[in-house]
Amino acid sequence: MIKKSIIIILTLSSMLLTGCSQKAPDLDIEDGKNNISDSTEISGDTVAIDENRYGNENTSGENGSQYNSSSDGFQSIYFGFGDYGISSSMENHITTNTNVINSTTSTIKVEGNCDEFGTDEYNYALGLKRAKAVKDSIVAQGVPESKMVLISYGESNPTCSSPTDSCYEKNRRVDLRLVK
Amino acid sequence: MLLLKIKIKELFVKYLLFLVLSLNLFAVDATVKIEKDVENRARIALVDASTITNNTFFKILQDDLKISGHFIADKTHHKGDISSNYLLPVLKSKEYVLKYALTQESGTKLLVRLLKASDSTEVFKKSYAIPSKNKIPFLAHKAVSDINRVLKYPDISWMNRYVIYARYTTPGKSEIVLADYTFNYKKTIIKGGLNLFPKWADKNQKSFYYSSYNALRPILYKMNIYTGKKEKMAISEGMLVCSDVRKDGAKLLLTMAPNGQSDIYELDVASKAKKRVTKFNGIDVNAKYLDDEGSITFVSDRLGYANIFKKGLNASSVSQVVYHGRNNNAVDAYGSKIVYASRESQKSFGANTFNIYLTSSKSTSTRPLTTTGTNQFPKFSVDGNVILYIKHRGNGSSVGYINLESQQSLLFPISGRKIQSIDW
Repeated sequence: MIKKSIIIILTLSSMLLTGCSQKAPDLDIEDGKNNISDSTEISGDTVAIDENRYGNENTSGENGSQYNSSSDGFQSIYFGFGDYGISSSMENHITTNTNVINSTTSTIKVEGNCDEFGTDEYNYALGLKRAKAVKDSIVAQGVPESKMVLISYGESNPTCSSPTDSCYEKNRRVDLRLVK
Repeated sequence: MLLLKIKIKELFVKYLLFLVLSLNLFAVDATVKIEKDVENRARIALVDASTITNNTFFKILQDDLKISGHFIADKTHHKGDISSNYLLPVLKSKEYVLKYALTQESGTKLLVRLLKASDSTEVFKKSYAIPSKNKIPFLAHKAVSDINRVLKYPDISWMNRYVIYARYTTPGKSEIVLADYTFNYKKTIIKGGLNLFPKWADKNQKSFYYSSYNALRPILYKMNIYTGKKEKMAISEGMLVCSDVRKDGAKLLLTMAPNGQSDIYELDVASKAKKRVTKFNGIDVNAKYLDDEGSITFVSDRLGYANIFKKGLNASSVSQVVYHGRNNNAVDAYGSKIVYASRESQKSFGANTFNIYLTSSKSTSTRPLTTTGTNQFPKFSVDGNVILYIKHRGNGSSVGYINLESQQSLLFPISGRKIQSIDW
């Protein structure tokens, strides 16, 4: 009886131990007889588009902002770090700009800009808040809202690039110009 | 005496039975442990059989193996023969040896053979061929991700994908560039004009969305990178950014400002119908689909400073996600995982410290993924396991990758002007 038990146990254990020492997981062995990967797996040729017809420094008005500050008699409005409120020191600039708008029938482009700090999408929104603040101030002086178009250029259009406080201040601004 | 012998034999049988059953249990536990334990990374050596040594290619292979989180690659640049199964005695301590030969005659070819170091058994062999040498980095990535697949490790095919980014070139101008994840391969696909915020439109990376600021009003385009075909998707006064694409590609999250007020909108790609998702007088930007894509996380200054919030697409209530930091102005999400950039210093001017944090929509706990420098643009990989980010330090920038499971991280230097936005 005991001998039978031992034989059964030894048989069982040999089966289990064989299971324990099973070979490593069955790998997807790819018989590499010149198993060439289709070159399209590493993607075909992509295009290269040149839009340099935009951004010519002599081109004015509608096709993007080619200027680093206001033009056409307008004065740029400057802002504190992270701010989009019009400071009292900028109010005379608002008045000047209102007078220029009232002297023309053209549409005015109001461009918001930022310094280089922070993430660009947030900065574009901040630049837009600045542009809207300027527009609202001008509208409050009686100019029709429809005369102005807003756009934010975020940090894409700096007037200077040196890492100084005065340069950062110059970039936190709203520019105005006529749409030609 | 006889009784004693019988007793001893009975005890012996019981002991043997106990031992056998224990071994069986141990075997089950050991199998489970091997399948789950990625800490036991496979030690692998590289043997270069190329006729012309390419140290850059060797480095790319090493980096691929490292960032996968599944291998520890030997730093020695061994040389050898591609066909022979002979391995130097010093390589026998490894688990695997990857022999490879890169040739650049009539196009570029890579032949790889993966051998078990213990007995030189060939586990994997494959050839790769591409017409030009520009995409050599992709050969390395493909080979490593194939080897990873053959060895049945968790998928790392994210490393085969393009990274797409925009960077400013001169004031008022930018370019959009394709790159591999190491930035060894780079190709400008749109130059000139002011084209920004590229975002992949589909998981196969055939098209991408981008914002064109070349006209009076920003326009959102979808462009096919192989044909150059462009489709106008939306136009908005003020600003227009595609911040996320639903997994099925049918809807987009946009930041738009039709009334000069930046808010989150959802666009139906087929009908071009737009639904306003947030209504706030301040800044709402950078929305990402969250959880089951029935809700979003986004950046807002509704508390007076940039912070991370979430809301249901069809709900009105908004809840705060992050409760630390005074300027958290970039966010990305994968399922319930949320990663964001937080400003840690208070300088009004000059470089500030930004660090990347990982949190969840289901919990308020958060942990930092970086500790020094200016770290921004956190982005999840397509499988949610790796975070891409950009680190600025002094005068240089790097693209960084953090494998969330293995904690492996890598930095690759980037030359040229500052990156404006990035997607992968």
